[in-house]
Amino acid sequence: MGFFDQFWQLTIDGLMVGSLYAVIALGYTLVYGVLQLINFAHSEVFMLGSFGGLFAARALLPDHGVPGGFESVCLVAVGLGVGAACGALAAFTLERVAYRPLRRRAAPRLAYLISAIGASLFAVNLAGKEFGRQNVDLPDLFHNGTVFTIFGAQVSTQSLVIFGVAIAMLIGLDRLVAGTRLGQGIRAVAQDADTAVLMGVNVERIIIVTFIVGGLLAGAGGFLYAMTFNASYNMGFVPGVKAFTAAVLGGIGNVRGAMLGGLLLGLVESYGGYLFQASYKDVIAFLVLVAILMIRPSGLLGERLGRAA
Amino acid sequence: MGRRPLLGAIALATAVTLSAAACGSSGGDSSSDGKKTITIGFQGVLSGDNQQLGLNALYGMRTAVSEINADPSSTFELKLVESDDAGSPDQGPTAAQKLIDNDKIVAVVGPMFSGATKASEPAYTQAGLLSVSPSATNPALTTLGFKTFYRVIAPDTVQGKAAADYVAGVLKAKKVYSLDDKSDYGTGLSGALEPELKAKGVEVVHDGINPTKDYTSEATKIIASSPDALYYSGYYAELALLTKALKDKGFTGKIISGDGSLDPQYVAQAGATAAEGSYLTCPCGDANSDPKAAPFVASYKKVNNGVKPGTYSGEAYDATKALATVFKQLGSDVSRDSVLKAFAGVNYQGITKTISFETNGEVKGSNVYVYQVKNGAITVLGNIADLIKS
Amino acid sequence: MTGPSGPSGPSGPSGPGIPGQPTFPSRGGTGAGPGPGPGGVDPGALDPGETLALTTRGTAGPSPSRRASLGSGDAPSSDSATGQAGSPGSVGSAGSVGVTSGGWEPGNRRPPWHPAELFSPARLRLLGVMVLVGLLAAVVTGRTGNSDKPLQAAWDSIVDPRIVLFLVLAVALWLVVVLGGELRALVTRLATPVRAPFATAYGRRGGPIGLNLVLLAVAIIAPLLFSTAAQQSMVNDIGIYALLALGLNVVVGYAGLLDLGYIAFFAIGAYATAYFSSQTAMPWHAPFTLNPFFVFPIALILAGLAGVILGAPTLRLRGDYLAIVTLGFGEIIQIVANNADSITNGARGAFGVPHLSIHLPGIDYTWGIEPLPYYYLLLAIIVLVMIAFGRLERSRIGRSWAAIREDEIAAEATGVATLRLKLLAFAIGASVSGFAGVLFASKQFFNPQSFSLQASFFVVAVVIFGGLGSRLGVVVGAVVLQGLAFYLRDKVQPADRYIYFGAVIVVMMIFRPQGLVPSRRRRREIELSEAGIGGADALGPAPTGARP
Repeated sequence: MGFFDQFWQLTIDGLMVGSLYAVIALGYTLVYGVLQLINFAHSEVFMLGSFGGLFAARALLPDHGVPGGFESVCLVAVGLGVGAACGALAAFTLERVAYRPLRRRAAPRLAYLISAIGASLFAVNLAGKEFGRQNVDLPDLFHNGTVFTIFGAQVSTQSLVIFGVAIAMLIGLDRLVAGTRLGQGIRAVAQDADTAVLMGVNVERIIIVTFIVGGLLAGAGGFLYAMTFNASYNMGFVPGVKAFTAAVLGGIGNVRGAMLGGLLLGLVESYGGYLFQASYKDVIAFLVLVAILMIRPSGLLGERLGRAA
Repeated sequence: MGRRPLLGAIALATAVTLSAAACGSSGGDSSSDGKKTITIGFQGVLSGDNQQLGLNALYGMRTAVSEINADPSSTFELKLVESDDAGSPDQGPTAAQKLIDNDKIVAVVGPMFSGATKASEPAYTQAGLLSVSPSATNPALTTLGFKTFYRVIAPDTVQGKAAADYVAGVLKAKKVYSLDDKSDYGTGLSGALEPELKAKGVEVVHDGINPTKDYTSEATKIIASSPDALYYSGYYAELALLTKALKDKGFTGKIISGDGSLDPQYVAQAGATAAEGSYLTCPCGDANSDPKAAPFVASYKKVNNGVKPGTYSGEAYDATKALATVFKQLGSDVSRDSVLKAFAGVNYQGITKTISFETNGEVKGSNVYVYQVKNGAITVLGNIADLIKS
Repeated sequence: MTGPSGPSGPSGPSGPGIPGQPTFPSRGGTGAGPGPGPGGVDPGALDPGETLALTTRGTAGPSPSRRASLGSGDAPSSDSATGQAGSPGSVGSAGSVGVTSGGWEPGNRRPPWHPAELFSPARLRLLGVMVLVGLLAAVVTGRTGNSDKPLQAAWDSIVDPRIVLFLVLAVALWLVVVLGGELRALVTRLATPVRAPFATAYGRRGGPIGLNLVLLAVAIIAPLLFSTAAQQSMVNDIGIYALLALGLNVVVGYAGLLDLGYIAFFAIGAYATAYFSSQTAMPWHAPFTLNPFFVFPIALILAGLAGVILGAPTLRLRGDYLAIVTLGFGEIIQIVANNADSITNGARGAFGVPHLSIHLPGIDYTWGIEPLPYYYLLLAIIVLVMIAFGRLERSRIGRSWAAIREDEIAAEATGVATLRLKLLAFAIGASVSGFAGVLFASKQFFNPQSFSLQASFFVVAVVIFGGLGSRLGVVVGAVVLQGLAFYLRDKVQPADRYIYFGAVIVVMMIFRPQGLVPSRRRRREIELSEAGIGGADALGPAPTGARP
């Protein structure tokens, strides 16, 4: 069976995972755009959002088999909503506890990195303690069958839902950053915070909002992730590193770059895992990253959030 | 005075918190009524990504300890000291040394992972402290000259061969996709399985994948090569995700895995519909489905807040019980030396198997059983050797 | 400008603030007002109403009560509501405070235990925070839960009688903080990086030799007082990590390059040892066998070479891009080591690398599995490396690194060969790591698990926790962090160990972001960066929300 027979199926798989990477990557990119800071604890925001959504959906799940129709829509919506809310809360708390006190005293940038690693260790292990160390399964929220076939590749309900919701969120965020007053503020701070202050932008508020928006996306993304891949206390690390890679790939600090980077990374992994032994797929992903950075040293689309839209 | 008050307060708070935690974690050893106390150690994976496996074994041990301590006829009480090696070779020697330093400890259950075992065993050998692993299956372990190493689980080679027999002989698979998780355990098992399959004329496709959550594209890859059966060498958490991904994509071949996946959590995490029909091989009896082990399951649940036994729980329980029989034989003369000598000749009917050893520390007998998920529960199909004959 | 910190001392309308301030006389003079803080950057900008509420309190330092932050609502108005007069920085530095306002007015000062004072909104908020921390502590030390009843365990810990203890503690902590005298001064002093007068930053060079000798003596005697298990940990965890941290310190601390895949060079050292000194450890081995001692120079060169190979194409990348590329490199090395069964023996690891041994006329010694001899060997190596790096730091190269770190463009303009020097830093750091790898491999069995990404992160944490750029600092960092991990091993459930560990790191970074033992030079750089001159590291300005 050649690679080309499976090309479209692999593309679909890659896009599904890639859209999740993109959603998480946005959190990294937004915070980076505004603070020039890699938020290493973002993966735990994702994890907590994922648990929140999963538990909410599971609590509402009816006893009789797989729900359908309107019920499914409601369950997914509730899961997404609660997941996003938990993610936002986690991101907000993180900013308050681990970052703001440091910002208050102009700590060197690396201190943030370590503070984030500490916060991440704390959150991961506390989640493990509270929710157990087993993977937690979320039963099907809808009948998961093949919706349609494209070039011989099956598209399942699940991948369609994930891809659809993720893309909707990505477009929503893009509009938010490009077209609203809030987005204007974010871009202003990203471009030049000092000048933004003089222009009457409340930088402190923008920073918090940025974290919250990143948390909302990561939390909702976490729920989508849990729908397919189960949730566990240590689920954040790997997608976190991948999403960070995706953000850099597209040009960190650039919203559209993060989207592009996420999708591209998903595709590269999917193709790479097929062509080589699957355990090498991270190697391939990183090699592609290095190659791209060699050619375009600040990512595919360049880095400024301010210029993104 | 400057910063003192605040820092002092923080230090105080930390100290109180830590001591409260320490009190919280170490509750409940009551030695009284004049019985002698014998201390045994546990070295295993109690932190890090694989800690659930460590907890499974630890809970199994705790079950055995509490049964023995509750038994009025027993002449001694057991006390358990835990030591965490995170499953990694870096922390192995420290974890082992901690148990060796405690001279009350006369035997250890563990280490659990082969890597940590290789790193820790030199220290045990030097100290003459018996260590009984519930889970380290790397075939090489008994050939490296560790004088104090025993294991109550058959090495990968035994299971690999039996699994190959079953897949080729009973399931009649012509093409097998062998996937391992690139761990010490996974590569060991797939390395034992594949040559056996090839020797039987079965076509084998090999792939390895690091433990992950996302098996979507791997599922595509597996389906594209259209095997009759998939053998996954790895643990249940990943097998569950892989099964889900495969079933979502309509995989119709058989899914088989080894002892690392023989855990009720496999069904819980994959979902009963997806896991239905999967086969699991194991050189052990399964406590949850074996009626003879029902008392064990009941007391396990009682001791551990209603949790069901998982992978390696039964082995750790058996190892502890086997140690207890040795202590009983030895009577008053329980020391590291005497325990080490006596353990070589132990013969104890455990719930996973009969525990008795070859001279190199390998457990005797090599019955490999096969299980299948039926109606959402893991049920035993029988001993592979018998199934092949029939 | 960097950081919104104007020279608030002299120019800011700080009248009412100063009298209440317990004195930072030197501050105003240097113009390096601490008032950084994004806090800084103006609350309420989008909303003119809030802007009016700004107060300027001169050098008001940060205080926890500034959590109140945006809530300029309760930033009442002291008499200096004309704060905007100052630079945006000085506005900011005070703007978000809004606590304890009355207290700072000279004539009008109530005792701190006065109810109106005690229960000001900000202090109540602080009390709330303390209570939350107390509850969190109760949850952390409480029962372990499971996913069937996700919040049950947390709830049980909160309704447990033990909670009284935690709440009492929280209130006590609050009282200590609130009534502990000059809270503001205290927190300010805690909060701002420790600053020495400028003179000492360039002062004595060698450091106090006496102190160093005492520390060395302590290091020599210490292991004899501990159990063998502790000695094991002192070798495997503290010693090896101290050595790794010293090496990484060259890369991160001296040259200001963030390397997140540092452990890869450690792996190269370890596998080189297996390759050269054993015929059995790996399927792929040298046709001859060397004593691990002879592998030291080889590994040094190999790892250094790997550093150059990785660095040459990537060092042109800026800070965070370099971080991700090095991270990728670390991952690649680990994955390849884990997968190349026929070369490295894959996940099964390399067993049977011989221990170190010396066979010379008159001396015949083999290191065994006892940790103590390895400890002393490591100690000797660490001391040598510290001395060597001390000289390096003060050499022309070291000064060039400092120049690059402080301002790369200026350095380049003044003729510093930046790329070559960065490459050198990378190679030196890598070779130390390779060196440590040889030691580790000859000491014990290893497999690719030992070279995980988390280990790389941990080394970075040790370096920054200890004090970036400070040789003694990073060693102290390794001792404290790993010592803490070892201490917690017996004190709490192993699975919960990293909860405490993470919390300690966060608290530490909040109260002492410059690390335990910051280097003098770094201290000055941080000061300068606060004053808005240059960055605190080569990774760009501090993320305060504003930048050049």
